[in-house]
Amino acid sequence: MRDVLEFQAISKYFPGVKALDDISFEAYGGEVLAFLGENGAGKSTLLKILNGDYQPDGGKYLINGKEAHFRSPHEAISAGVSVIYQERQILMELSVAENIYLGRMPANRLGVINTRKANAMASGIISDFGLPIKPSDKVKDLSVAYQQMVEIMKAYSRDELKVICFDEPTASLSDSEIGILFGIIRKLRDEGKIIIYVSHRMSEIREIADRVAIFKDGRFVGAEDAKTSSEAGLIRKMVGRDLGDIYDSLDRDKEIGAVLLEARHISSDYVEDVSFSLHRGEVLGFSGLVGAGRTEVMRAIVGADKIKSGEVLLDGKPISNRSPKDAMASGIVLVPEDRKTQGILANLDVSGNINIALMDQHSNRLGVLDSDKESRAVEKGIKDFSIKTPSPFKKIVELSGGNQQKCVVARVMATNPKVLILDEPTKGIDVGAKSEFYQMICRFAKEGLGVILVSSELPEVIGLSDRIIVMKGRRMAGEVMRSDATEDRLLALSMMEADERISKEACA
Amino acid sequence: MNRIKRLIGGIGGDKLILMAAIIVVFALFTSLNRNFLTPTNITNILVATSLVGLVAIGETYLVIAGHVDLSPGSLVALSGVLAALLVSKGVAFFPALLITLFAGAAVGLANSLMTSKIKLEPFIATLVTQSIVRGFAYILCGGKPVAISDATFLRVSRLRFPVFLNEGSKLSFSGIPLAVWIMIAAFALFGFILARTKFGRSIYAVGGNKDAARLAGLNPQRIMLVCYVMMGVICAVGGVVFAARMNSGQPAANVNLEFDAITAVILGGVSFSGGVGSMGGTILGVILIQSFNTGLTMVNVQSFWQLVARGGLLLFALTSDYIRKANREKNLLADSKRNS
Repeated sequence: MRDVLEFQAISKYFPGVKALDDISFEAYGGEVLAFLGENGAGKSTLLKILNGDYQPDGGKYLINGKEAHFRSPHEAISAGVSVIYQERQILMELSVAENIYLGRMPANRLGVINTRKANAMASGIISDFGLPIKPSDKVKDLSVAYQQMVEIMKAYSRDELKVICFDEPTASLSDSEIGILFGIIRKLRDEGKIIIYVSHRMSEIREIADRVAIFKDGRFVGAEDAKTSSEAGLIRKMVGRDLGDIYDSLDRDKEIGAVLLEARHISSDYVEDVSFSLHRGEVLGFSGLVGAGRTEVMRAIVGADKIKSGEVLLDGKPISNRSPKDAMASGIVLVPEDRKTQGILANLDVSGNINIALMDQHSNRLGVLDSDKESRAVEKGIKDFSIKTPSPFKKIVELSGGNQQKCVVARVMATNPKVLILDEPTKGIDVGAKSEFYQMICRFAKEGLGVILVSSELPEVIGLSDRIIVMKGRRMAGEVMRSDATEDRLLALSMMEADERISKEACA
Repeated sequence: MNRIKRLIGGIGGDKLILMAAIIVVFALFTSLNRNFLTPTNITNILVATSLVGLVAIGETYLVIAGHVDLSPGSLVALSGVLAALLVSKGVAFFPALLITLFAGAAVGLANSLMTSKIKLEPFIATLVTQSIVRGFAYILCGGKPVAISDATFLRVSRLRFPVFLNEGSKLSFSGIPLAVWIMIAAFALFGFILARTKFGRSIYAVGGNKDAARLAGLNPQRIMLVCYVMMGVICAVGGVVFAARMNSGQPAANVNLEFDAITAVILGGVSFSGGVGSMGGTILGVILIQSFNTGLTMVNVQSFWQLVARGGLLLFALTSDYIRKANREKNLLADSKRNS
């Protein structure tokens, strides 16, 4: 009898958004089920419900026909459900064996731990997995890929393991490491485990998955056969329309002018030797893996992080932005990466959020705010950026993600900037709002602004940018013109070492 | 009307509950001791309130900004001793007052630098100053109260206005003491700044989310510096007024002053997690806690039990802060469900 995991009408709410809406489907033992969907489609939320991190607001899930209800990840693991996250959840200072048997180390009656026995047990698993590591190795000395293997072995070491989920496991792995990981996933599959695999990469899904569950805006759209269905068809289901349409319909009739912003060999604590220029009317994309240093370049430019060497020129004149406030005054503004923790001021209303950067203009010499000026400014922001809110005095957290983000854009645009930096502006917002943002970006460029777009979504960077800079390991890995940009090329730049890439290109 | 409403932070359900609590406390103590609700006693409550009230103003700013200050009790003691000492050495009152205000500002500056430059938690940083400043209060005067004989200094506590002296009546109203007027003026001024100015708005922004506020173009470090220095100056004023009332600088007085002030602020609806609250709430919180404390004394509750009662009141305040926060989140969630 195959194991089976059923979701029945699962719903989950967060402030301002219905994260999961009536989700029902099944996953079976002995198959790899991929979760496909855009950021914010609900994949991770569903995993967090499955492992007891979140409680569903409606619906239930069943394992082999029995209703399960995990109140914590700990309960889920004990019941045989493990999730392997992108971020490591292991203890770096401990050995491989100690991590695998954390909290369950073999011990005698007095509680004294038997390390030798643990090592012996662990080496059994390691050889099952065929890995060249020792049970006594410190985890911190292992490569990222092997650290991840330790996590998988930790889950595998439990006899009760039935369900194992991988949340974007390959994000920081090299090609050969991905090969090892896939070998292990196949082994687990052949042993009859239920495997859930979350990824953005279509090629991986095709290689490893048997079926694909597609999510869109918190709903389950359907499940498809991973091998036979067409890639374009899957994407259409995932975004609800052809991606090409959105980008093709954008108004790109504009003029690219003189150099506006120039960075010369800037380094901070987080990036090294970054140089680029941005022209008037240009959309400059920044691509690369998470952690490659894209956000950190932007933080250095607006003075959120200190620039240690190099210089930034605006209109040919060197500027020194010691704080985001300075940057704003010189005409460079940033819409930060994480809307919730860096963008919105969650305790203020829409008016407070939009007006926060304009308080100097809206107050008299004593600093007393003029509420008429403020309400005019907020009305204008709401109209110009078509923010959907019942009132300017609505708390910003009550708006949808897309409307919250529009408030942040309205805030920085109200300062009449020359350079607009958008860091992952469409993360976690729905497709409708996304296309509004894309039109907005094109409009800003047309009006003569220099726009920098940092994005992890390759179609987005390619579809919007005139030029794309790829970051890798805190440095620039290359620059690609729009006409030459393909997903493969950007990925290659962001993932491969220079020599590896050259040899591959030479072969091709 | 709208402006007035915003000035006192909106009369919400929480404020009505507070007002009800105040009425209950007054009714209770009046029934236990008939002298509770007399003009003299009310004036006494107001005078006693004036010091807690001033400190609560500073705490309102700091707690909304996500910080807290534990040093006011010590600083009030040091200020009183310092001013009394200067005057006793022949310095005129106003120069002495000015020096004391500078000393208060310096302590505030030290608190702010410890939190911004060496990134200490406000709770710990101000615990440091609480001890050091109290120590200096004792050191300055050798541990003994410093008597005040300067007439100008003493007038600070004698001054009352307006004065209605009714010759025929025993209970003639002889005016409200200066200390109370200072508190009223401070509540009005700082309440206005908090609700209606750039600086006030910045405090809410920083308390709600420091990183986002910085990226939005504010300077959180400077805003916190102003808040701490303001608190220092307020404590110095409070210390001078208190010394005048006692006719002496008292190095050992006002231990736990910040305790009452923080309790009042939290009772008044300022959230310990920052970003939420108003001066109107603090005023009610201060009235509630001071009438509570005075009442306990008047019905002869032993001072040891009073400590227990105060602790209980703070626990109650923190619990209601927790419940309010949970309710805010629940309402938000309910709204989202309705909208989707």
